[in-house]
Amino acid sequence: MRRYNIFYFISQAVKGLWRNGLMSLAAITVLLSCLVLMGSFSLLVYNVNVNIEDVAKLNEIVVIVDYEATDEDVEVLSQKIKALDNIAEVVYISKEEGLESERSRYEEYSYLFEEIAEENPLPDVFKITYEDNSRVANLVYALGKLDDVNKVKNRTDIANDIESIKSGVSFIFVWFLAILFVISIFIIINTIKIGVESRSKEISAMRYIGATNFFMTTPFIIEGIIIGIISAGVGYILQCTLYDAIFRAMSGEYKMIAVAPLADVQTYLLLGFLVIGVIAGMIGSGISLRRYMKV
Amino acid sequence: MIEFNDVSKIFPNGTVALENVNLKIEDGEFVFIVGASGAGKSTLMRLLLREEKVSSGVLRVGDYDLTKIPNYKIPYYRRQLGMVFQDFRLFDKKTVYENVAFAMRVIGEPTSVIKRRVPTILSIVGLMDKYKNFPSELSGGEQQRVALARALANNPRIIIADEPTANIDPKMKMEIMNLLMKINSKGKTVIVVTHEQNIVDYFQKRVITIRDGHVVDDRIGGMFEENETV
Repeated sequence: MRRYNIFYFISQAVKGLWRNGLMSLAAITVLLSCLVLMGSFSLLVYNVNVNIEDVAKLNEIVVIVDYEATDEDVEVLSQKIKALDNIAEVVYISKEEGLESERSRYEEYSYLFEEIAEENPLPDVFKITYEDNSRVANLVYALGKLDDVNKVKNRTDIANDIESIKSGVSFIFVWFLAILFVISIFIIINTIKIGVESRSKEISAMRYIGATNFFMTTPFIIEGIIIGIISAGVGYILQCTLYDAIFRAMSGEYKMIAVAPLADVQTYLLLGFLVIGVIAGMIGSGISLRRYMKV
Repeated sequence: MIEFNDVSKIFPNGTVALENVNLKIEDGEFVFIVGASGAGKSTLMRLLLREEKVSSGVLRVGDYDLTKIPNYKIPYYRRQLGMVFQDFRLFDKKTVYENVAFAMRVIGEPTSVIKRRVPTILSIVGLMDKYKNFPSELSGGEQQRVALARALANNPRIIIADEPTANIDPKMKMEIMNLLMKINSKGKTVIVVTHEQNIVDYFQKRVITIRDGHVVDDRIGGMFEENETV
């Protein structure tokens, strides 16, 4: 059996892209926007998960002691906490230690701490590590009932809040992205269709010569794939630049939010972009060629 | 051999384009198909090209039964045919050489074979000196010769020419017909669909006349006259 030359198909696809330059550019732009939005959202979800895991991993409850409590009261409270069920460790942090800890955390703003050192606004706290996550609600309840307890802060509540926000945002984004994806495919369909229409005479002549559907459609499919690859490539560069900038900003200014470094995610990002880009390109070409598949 | 056995073609809207056509064209024959517009000539061609399916009857071309041929085999069947159209249907953006070479590329011929064969075919149709020209730079007759060269590129067994002399000047008409004769003399079956009585009468070949979807005459020699009895 004779073999077709792949370079011929590729050259035809590139010519097609060039011939319909404006439409090709539109298709690439929309697809890459879609990919960058998709990537941004995925990275956001990934980082939210990293933070949720960090929070949940702590297995920690913070008990804030009443401001009026004396040292004796604190000692009694400490004993009562240690006597409770499901306790792994109890660490007492006095208001002075708390202030010192914050001061070292935000060294660059140490002058602020100088001003508040006289009237320390921080409370005494107990950091409690528990053993069993399933019984944490009982522990929180019991801690809340103790004397001299101002507030009980449970990190799992924060994790749950983030989780529910994430679900809501996910729902909106998934629909938004689905619409963008459909628009990208629609534009690719039109780009390829214009190419096919402008070559309909040629295609009909090819049919009489004995060209197979494979021969006639492959350049257009490759055209779609090239659109996908270019979009993925440009989208990847944009996404990495954007993410890196955000990563630098977040790691400098907001240390309390963990941001995964670019190196952790870039391989998946590139693979994802390529797969989605190529699939979108192929679907777009395939749909626009459907009616030309007849013999 | 091309064989129509009781072939009918009825379109979905009820138009009967061909009805109970029985024909046999032997290998190496030269045949004119004549008839007025709407007589059924185009449908007959489309059936031969397997652009349309027969509604009833059996149509065989060589080893292919066109009533049963699966879609994926149609391109391979068409490679046995060389098509020439009255509007040439050349690729405008390709040179004479590229037009012919493309027909070979379509069927996956290697470049080495293309480079060897294209000049030979262009010499046969007398266009070797114009191989770099684009179709727009050629006369109607020359364009038709390119179309003939392209039809010959893959060494088909049958050449089907649809009004090949319709869009060219009178002097060139004979040249094209002589080329078709020359191709026929090499053993290829040639089917020419035409309106031009003087050409048909001049060459004294087999003439099949179609009227209202029926073969009304099949004879060697001149064109069927309307006042003859069917």
